[in-house]
Amino acid sequence: MLDALDKKLLKTVADLEGLPKGAYNIRKNGKLLDRQISANIDIETNADGTGIIVTIKPGTKNESVHIPVILSQAGLFDVVYNSFIIGEGAEVTIVAGCGIHCGTSESEGHAGIHDFQVGKKAKVNYVEKHFAMGEGSGRRTLNPTTKVFLDEGATAEMELTQISGVDEADRLNEATLGPGSLLLITERVLTEGEQRAESTNNIILQGSGSRANMISRSVMKGNSKQIFHANMEARAKCFGHIECDAIIMDNGTNETMPALKALHPDAELTHEASIGKIANDQLTKLMSLGLTYDQAVNRIIQGFLK
Amino acid sequence: MLELKKLYFTIQDDDVDIGAKRNIIDGIDFTFEKGKFYVITGPNGSGKTTLAKLIMGINPISSGSIIFEGKDISSLSITERAKLGIAYSFQQPARFKGITFRDLLAIATGNNDEKKFLEMVTRVGICPLSFLDKEVDARLSGGEIKKIELATTIAANPKLAIYDEPDTGIDLWTIGPMVSLLKKELTPKTTTIVVSHNRAFLDVADVIIIIDKGRIVYSGDLKSALPLLTDLSICTYHNNCERDKDVGCLR
Ligand SMILES: Nc1ncnc2c1ncn2[C@@H]1O[C@H](COP(=O)(O)OP(=O)(O)O)[C@@H](O)[C@H]1O
Ligand SMILES: [Mg+2]
Repeated sequence: MLDALDKKLLKTVADLEGLPKGAYNIRKNGKLLDRQISANIDIETNADGTGIIVTIKPGTKNESVHIPVILSQAGLFDVVYNSFIIGEGAEVTIVAGCGIHCGTSESEGHAGIHDFQVGKKAKVNYVEKHFAMGEGSGRRTLNPTTKVFLDEGATAEMELTQISGVDEADRLNEATLGPGSLLLITERVLTEGEQRAESTNNIILQGSGSRANMISRSVMKGNSKQIFHANMEARAKCFGHIECDAIIMDNGTNETMPALKALHPDAELTHEASIGKIANDQLTKLMSLGLTYDQAVNRIIQGFLK
Repeated sequence: MLELKKLYFTIQDDDVDIGAKRNIIDGIDFTFEKGKFYVITGPNGSGKTTLAKLIMGINPISSGSIIFEGKDISSLSITERAKLGIAYSFQQPARFKGITFRDLLAIATGNNDEKKFLEMVTRVGICPLSFLDKEVDARLSGGEIKKIELATTIAANPKLAIYDEPDTGIDLWTIGPMVSLLKKELTPKTTTIVVSHNRAFLDVADVIIIIDKGRIVYSGDLKSALPLLTDLSICTYHNNCERDKDVGCLR
């Protein structure tokens, strides 16, 4: 059922060799390709048929759901609305990702609009990888949206990665944090050539004792451009931190705009931002251990985006 | 094993009138012998780090030449010199993002052998095993990063190792083991150059070299070096030094 190309895309975006263990939902060219549910994880198509609803039973432990999307149909722009309802005290890993293969001059794209309701004391680990390939000249676009609602004491750890080949990306991440909840977002984006990526993050620390840490790592090669907005708004006694680092290679450009808003006297918000070339002392150190200049550059970028 | 011939490192000095040049390294001639333990000392800003970087190829030499094991390496890159067996421990080690101590050891040794790493870290003794998976980033303390820097240099198993102030930020009880590691265990297999003001290193040096204003003003044993060392260490007026004319100078 999976052809060689599907397998390559799945391997890259979801680290899968063949079909995953546990629950999964594989979408190919806008249609359901395969689905499996488990005792604790239910997946159903939503009422208007535009996406899926994944429901995780309260108390579920150590389970995972894979929901990869693969695209190889010329001219298709696939939009999907997925909801995740994570029951109280559940612990789950969700692996999403989109792989595009573009073989013609017609453009292809995907917009995954995901919302997460993370129940009391539940923990979700969300891993999302974006990747595009193919010899075609059509543009590959990915415009993901994630909306997260964290109930009391809930934790969401989100790893959002755009590896390579995506021409145009416009991402929106929104999160509202309940009391005592924790949100960790790590976003890594590599662009090259004439690619462009924009990411907007709006994080609202609503509940008392909530904590958020947003880390962004960007690498711009060629003439590519990245724009990064991170807005943190504190409405209670809470802690928030934004750390965004961008490495410019070649003629890449970057705009980084972290913004902090404290609407409560006990809010603690901090940010660190940097844009620049690879630090010389890092290159020199690795060369003094025997790497060539190019090897040193690759090693530093690899670590930076790890 | 290492010969420095009429070595100069000259910069355009922006403090002085435009066009003025300053020799940071001002004509150094010296031969390092295989298997000996050298300690380079001298006041802050005298050119010790610059000299070390010239040997490693991090700074380009302005004139003169560097001969390593009979081969002129003056125009070789850092990488080529590393491959010939020269290693340098930075005074201010680089901090990375997403690179661990283990990663650096893998680069230095060219392999990924867990057993060898553990053996290596145990032997170095000064870094706990728990350091292996630490990221070599801005969160490390000054002492921790110096220990990691030293270990990566040793891991490269060099013929010539240069340690630039390896003792700064290191706790007192680590200095003894560090000195004995570099001196007893690694020299004479490795020719060692340590840049340091620390008496613990000076005490065990085969040869002490004192650098002042980019020149070697002394090389020899500790006993004859001591009077000079006490003199130089109090002089912090190099920037406005009028040399022999300077009446206010304690020397
Ligand atoms: N590339 C450079 N450009 C300008 N000045 C330099 C350069 N490298 C070193 N210097 C200057 O040369 C002097 C010697 O520096 P350094 O070798 O670091 O001294 P030390 O290690 O003995 O304390 C200092 O005054 C330093 O500022
Ligand atoms: Mg120095």
